[in-house]
Amino acid sequence: MAGRLLSMRALAPRVTLGSAAMSDMKAIIGNREVVGFGYNGQPNYADRSDFPLPAIRWKENTPDVLALREKEKGDWRKLSLEEKKALYRASFRQTFAEFKAPTGEWKSVIGCGLMLISVALWGFYGMKTFVYGPLPHTFEEEYRKAQLRRIIDLQINPIQGISSKWDYEKDEWKK
Amino acid sequence: MFRTTALRMHSLVKGALNVSKPSITATRFMSSHSTETDEQFDARYENFFNRKDIDGWEIRQGINDLCGHDLVPEPKIIIAALKACRRANDYALAIRIIEAVKDKCGGKVNEIYPYIIQEIRPTLTELGIDTPEELGYDKPELALESVYDIH
Repeated sequence: MAGRLLSMRALAPRVTLGSAAMSDMKAIIGNREVVGFGYNGQPNYADRSDFPLPAIRWKENTPDVLALREKEKGDWRKLSLEEKKALYRASFRQTFAEFKAPTGEWKSVIGCGLMLISVALWGFYGMKTFVYGPLPHTFEEEYRKAQLRRIIDLQINPIQGISSKWDYEKDEWKK
Repeated sequence: MFRTTALRMHSLVKGALNVSKPSITATRFMSSHSTETDEQFDARYENFFNRKDIDGWEIRQGINDLCGHDLVPEPKIIIAALKACRRANDYALAIRIIEAVKDKCGGKVNEIYPYIIQEIRPTLTELGIDTPEELGYDKPELALESVYDIH
């Protein structure tokens, strides 16, 4: 339910809310304390590194949370490690380390990309096998040899191209 | 020392501050380059957090605003904010502020963050605040589903 709350934030209106809209939002968040402006002025929660302090606390004000709050008013050195962590988790869903942790999504992106590429390669093979007609007969070995002989005889690209590699005195390729 | 050219990106947030509350912005003409010096900037935020009657709302407003600038806050601003958290009786807020400052260090976190902790260490011991590392929050503790995967 809280998850749906969080995904709703993208649809929330950006105009200043009247009191009716605010009370609608307050009804959604339940018993949670509104503690700040947040990133857009509405009483919602989001873990964002650019707006580190959300508008509402994460957990509702249950009796044990309220008991911790009373203890918080005293000396903080008297809080045990568990209580300190509980206070943090009551106000925030995830620590910075948690919501900035790498997800490894890039592996699935590369994997799916490669799978789709392989499907495409199978498609190319299928086209060649079943769809394309045969190559013209001029692609056979003797025809291509004769074409190459004609290219050399015509001295095509004699300066830096293929004829420059041919030795015309000895009638063979240059060594 | 940590300042690059500050571009005021969050004039919208500042505009939403109630007029009745003391504003953290001085009379500000929204041009892209401000005429405020670094010391004036630091002093403004330090004085804001050092107000005796500050409450949790204002601290969060100030920190969200401060994190909008392209800089790592000076230790004296952080010290003022932590003392304000003590007055507001909010321990989790103090931890979150230190985490946010560490995040603002960006790529140079290994150079800047130890310096900041060293500068605010007297305040941390005085108020009894642990750093996120001491709480074990520099590594992820809970593995929760990403909000983008919840439908």
